[in-house]
Amino acid sequence: MSTAQVSQHPFGRLRRAGRGFITPLKRIGEQAQFYGLTLRSIADLMVHYKGELVRQIAIMSLGTGALAVIGGTVGVICFMTLSLGADVGVSGYNQFSTVGVEALVGFASSYFNVRFVGPVVTAIALAATLGAGATAQLGSMRISEEIDALEVMGIRSIAYLNGSRVVAGVIVVVPLYCLGLMAAFIATQVVTVMLYGQSSGVYNHYFSTFLNPSDIMWSIFQVVAMVVVIMLIHTYYGYNATGGPAGVGEAVGRAVRASLITTLFVVLFLSLAIYGQSGNFHLSD
Amino acid sequence: MSNDEDSAPGLASEQSRTTPMTALSEAEPKTRAGVGIQLSKTRLAKPVGALGAFYAMALDTLVSIPRKPFALQEFLHQAWFVARVSFLPTLMLAFPFDVLLVFTFNLVLIEIGAGDFSGAGAAWATIQEVGPVVTVLVISGAGATAICADLGARKIREELDALEVLGINPIQALVVPRVLACCVVATLLSALVMVVGLAGCFAFSVYVQNVTPGAFIGGMPLIVDGTKLAVSFAKAAIFGLTAGLIGCFKGISVGGGPAGVGNAVNETVVLAFVALFSLNVVITAVGFKLELASI
Repeated sequence: MSTAQVSQHPFGRLRRAGRGFITPLKRIGEQAQFYGLTLRSIADLMVHYKGELVRQIAIMSLGTGALAVIGGTVGVICFMTLSLGADVGVSGYNQFSTVGVEALVGFASSYFNVRFVGPVVTAIALAATLGAGATAQLGSMRISEEIDALEVMGIRSIAYLNGSRVVAGVIVVVPLYCLGLMAAFIATQVVTVMLYGQSSGVYNHYFSTFLNPSDIMWSIFQVVAMVVVIMLIHTYYGYNATGGPAGVGEAVGRAVRASLITTLFVVLFLSLAIYGQSGNFHLSD
Repeated sequence: MSNDEDSAPGLASEQSRTTPMTALSEAEPKTRAGVGIQLSKTRLAKPVGALGAFYAMALDTLVSIPRKPFALQEFLHQAWFVARVSFLPTLMLAFPFDVLLVFTFNLVLIEIGAGDFSGAGAAWATIQEVGPVVTVLVISGAGATAICADLGARKIREELDALEVLGINPIQALVVPRVLACCVVATLLSALVMVVGLAGCFAFSVYVQNVTPGAFIGGMPLIVDGTKLAVSFAKAAIFGLTAGLIGCFKGISVGGGPAGVGNAVNETVVLAFVALFSLNVVITAVGFKLELASI
């Protein structure tokens, strides 16, 4: 019996050892294939399911259920950028005043808010609200066999569920991000001018001198790239959830972890690619 | 998403249990205006009731921490679990976060000819800002969600009710060890985040942005001192406690069957991030005040 098995699988020991390396690789391959399917399904979505797309946009911007109570995605993003913008004000003013250049807090606002706080905080907030929401929704649809029902009804489920969420995310995120960035600017200004009593003229001078429109355009581009990655990852984990109610919860946690890590690497490499070694930053001219 | 409506009345009813008679007598007039008022009342009562229930559970938990049968084995088990699910994500998240911050920061420093101070900036950014924030993200994204899913699944299978029937307090047996585990692991993880972050900053500044290694090391203790480090650890501990409490609260108040668990986990992530970001500002400001007082 055992000899038969050995002859069936030559190098059995080697195969078993290799399986440990190959399984994760295979999983990455399957994920990549699924992302390809989702992106390709957007064409189907645009032809057949425009109504669903509009519905998703409405749901994503204002949220449903408990999210709507605290202002939906809009409220969460504005709140988080507001709090980190205030942090830029508090830390910036205190650190700058130790070397006597607290007048430059306006510069800190226009520089750090656009290049760091805005994109990173928006990524975190989107993963928590839109992303985790999508995973929970799709996961509970999967375990109650609603996705199979969609397929039986002849609806292309990947286009209808995943594609619509990716496209809706991209459409929704641009105005959302602009609101969040404004909230960060306002928070820094309020903290600096009202709490620490800096003259508003000084603040505004340095703020508008160093506010670079092309930086803002690039940061919007970063956020759009991030939202595509976030929605792809979260819809994948939701669509392929298994293991009952607890499995959906675990899928949400796994998706949040994966998307946070991936998006931060995306932001980092996009920043390096866009701003480069010299940084596209000129203090003196 | 319709299951939120199912979960909320349970919370609201717990809150209004003390005054059932007034609620009933007010509900008597069945006119349209009366219905409108009733609707707006339940809308308002939902978040307020949930907040009240959360505070009640948090107080219950804090009170029962020193009570006697401490679930030591459950605590160790949960601490190991949270540490295991958070370890790798922490390393992976700390690196890009820190490098991005220090890259942005060094551009300014190099432009004004103060590249030698990049160590000071990196140490300040890593220890005061990034360390606790990354810990929060990982603890609430990996630990609190798993706790919520676990407790939520037990709740809808009525295991928590069974525990109560057996005379075991679920808060003491399940919630306290989980909350303490989150708190302890967050504090330990934040140290890891700082070490990894500083190593990443050093490598990036020295090898990519051409900062002198000796100057980087020399600059590190310029801004950061013992007080800042202590505030940072305190931040991480408070964040961990809050994330654990939110995860446990959302888990044991799940309603509405299987779909409710997914929604509860989603709400855990959102609420934990929001709560922790607002705590961050408050603790940072308090930390600065403490430093001013100590000088």
